[in-house]
Amino acid sequence: MNAATAIDRIAASHARLAPRLAGGPEWARRRGRALETLVGRGLPGRRDENWKYLDHARLAGYDFGVGSRTAVDPAALARARLPLAGARRLVILDGRFEEALCGGEPLDGVTHDDIDALLGREPAAALDLLRLPADDADDRFAVMADAFTDGGVVIRIAAGSAPPRPLHLLHVTSAVRPAAHHARLVIEVGAGAKLVLVEEFLSLGDAPVFANLAAELAVGASADVEHLRLHRQNAAAAQVETWVARLDAAGSYRQHLVVLGGRLIRSNFRLALDGEAAACRLAGLFMADGERQVDIHTQVEHCAPRTRTEQDFRGIATGRGRGAMNGRIVMRPAARGADASQTIRNLLLSPLAEINARPQLEIHVDDVRCRHGATTGTLDPVQLFYLRSRGLDEATARSLLTFAFCQDVLAGMPLPAVRDFVATQVADILPDVELMREQA
Amino acid sequence: MSGEQQIMLDVRDLKVRAGERLILDGLSLAVRAGEVHAIMGPNGSGKSTLTGVLAGRPGLEVLSGSATYFGRDLLAMPPEIRAREGLFLAFQYPVEIPGVNNVYLMKASLNALRKHRGEPELDAFEFLNLVRARLAAMRMDETLLNRGVNEGFSGGEKKRNEILQMSLLEPTLALLDETDSGLDIDALKLVADGVNALRSPSRAIVLVTHYQRLLDYVVPDQVHVLAGGRIVRSGGRELALELERRGYDWVQDGTAAA
Repeated sequence: MNAATAIDRIAASHARLAPRLAGGPEWARRRGRALETLVGRGLPGRRDENWKYLDHARLAGYDFGVGSRTAVDPAALARARLPLAGARRLVILDGRFEEALCGGEPLDGVTHDDIDALLGREPAAALDLLRLPADDADDRFAVMADAFTDGGVVIRIAAGSAPPRPLHLLHVTSAVRPAAHHARLVIEVGAGAKLVLVEEFLSLGDAPVFANLAAELAVGASADVEHLRLHRQNAAAAQVETWVARLDAAGSYRQHLVVLGGRLIRSNFRLALDGEAAACRLAGLFMADGERQVDIHTQVEHCAPRTRTEQDFRGIATGRGRGAMNGRIVMRPAARGADASQTIRNLLLSPLAEINARPQLEIHVDDVRCRHGATTGTLDPVQLFYLRSRGLDEATARSLLTFAFCQDVLAGMPLPAVRDFVATQVADILPDVELMREQA
Repeated sequence: MSGEQQIMLDVRDLKVRAGERLILDGLSLAVRAGEVHAIMGPNGSGKSTLTGVLAGRPGLEVLSGSATYFGRDLLAMPPEIRAREGLFLAFQYPVEIPGVNNVYLMKASLNALRKHRGEPELDAFEFLNLVRARLAAMRMDETLLNRGVNEGFSGGEKKRNEILQMSLLEPTLALLDETDSGLDIDALKLVADGVNALRSPSRAIVLVTHYQRLLDYVVPDQVHVLAGGRIVRSGGRELALELERRGYDWVQDGTAAA
């Protein structure tokens, strides 16, 4: 199957679905325009600079027919999800907000709104609220999400509030049959608020599902956000996500992205440091084992003085796994005194594994500091020999060094429960599980 | 006396290449249980290659000759099997491994050896008691246990960490590759104490060193001078003192003359 037939299937699904969606004529027009744009642009292909490492044939092989929501057993979800005691839990199931699966004590200062309900209730307000897609050729999947806008959630954190417990946002697919799901997400963090947000992507079944998320994040002045993002979909799943985020003055945002699941994961994260002294830290760890393909693109735009970026990405590929890490940092003329550092380190554990790292710095102002470094290599033979000379067999030594490679990103995670869980998940992927568990 | 003992390590006419360079050029050495051997030699004479090839360091190619350990072909064993069979190498430059916990490695290591010998593995509690006692003997700070392996350790701390591992693993054949270099006199004495504590009729120790200073504290049974990839002179303790007095040029000239 090629991209053209995929577009045809997407258009056919749209034609079947669109008349049944909420939002009245203005939303019908908006979805129609988005579909036109998408069909006009087509799906990205190998000639698109920012998409050239993606396996387009693999992507085109997914069923783009939007599936209906399947009821899931809350107990099955409880077993599958991250055990996060005390957290407030919000759930998007098969692309739509699912109140019945939400749980945990509500958090003071945190409110949410079901986008499906909002479309029916206040379609005009929803038009203003859901601003994506931006007019960027790279946002085709956001345009696709716009064309299928149906469900999702808006989350607001009141200015000055500091919820004492984390907010756990789950993106769940029932995955009982091949299907596509599109979801919208808007997160608004008020000025001075403090939030710990744990996002988790899960599939409950084994079917190959294409999930598409278009998300917007606004972090207010002096607000502080820790954002843990954990992809643990089934080994058949495809996930594309497009984030557009902005930070106001003195806002602080720290993201910890971990990709351990899925068959094809494409993450686009675009962040504008709009206010003076806004600061972000983006840390990431992905494991492309088996046949998994992970394609991570970040773009941070420094648009104000004294803004700061720190990036630390680690990728591991083994088996026939493939990864790509593209980190773009732009220093706009207003970004005087800005500071950015970017580290990309990749580890290849098998001869067929592949990772492409591409740091991109674009500097339009003199008075800034930028540092970046990208390395892709194999395990250090001297370290391997040292461990083996202490009696550890080669497989154990390799696992231990691979685990060690992940440690910096794991150590930076704020919630010990999540950190330990992720460490165990990483250890489970590596051979010699028992030993690794202990080290974890 | 030692002549009656079985030869533990028997290296014969060993030729070893690293890349294009021939480093060991027909080296022979016999070490019996209970003995301490010191191998001295100028920089570049092949000292580290000798300990490396015996421990199984990658990147060294054996061209000819043999090395047996209790009659078994040492060079055919993977490095971890050599370690489990009781061979220990204290590295000249102990490797930093951030992200691998120091005490975890020691426990995994000791238990790998115990398992190989058919002994029960130590649990976390038993192990911690053992390691604490050894740590105190090495006058090492307990915080070093929970750091990454050698991560951010000073030069002296790294060397002491090697001796700490050695004292835990209680090797049958210990190879120490310039463990004394870069140590102040107090650290040198601690290292020497660690080595002397290991001395026993059933064990053997090979000390590779550039200076004879360590030999003031660990008195060797035999001293060998390594030059040009082979042992050019062997003798007792007095050979080390003579080397100290006359310098390596003396033996190198001697080689040329021989």
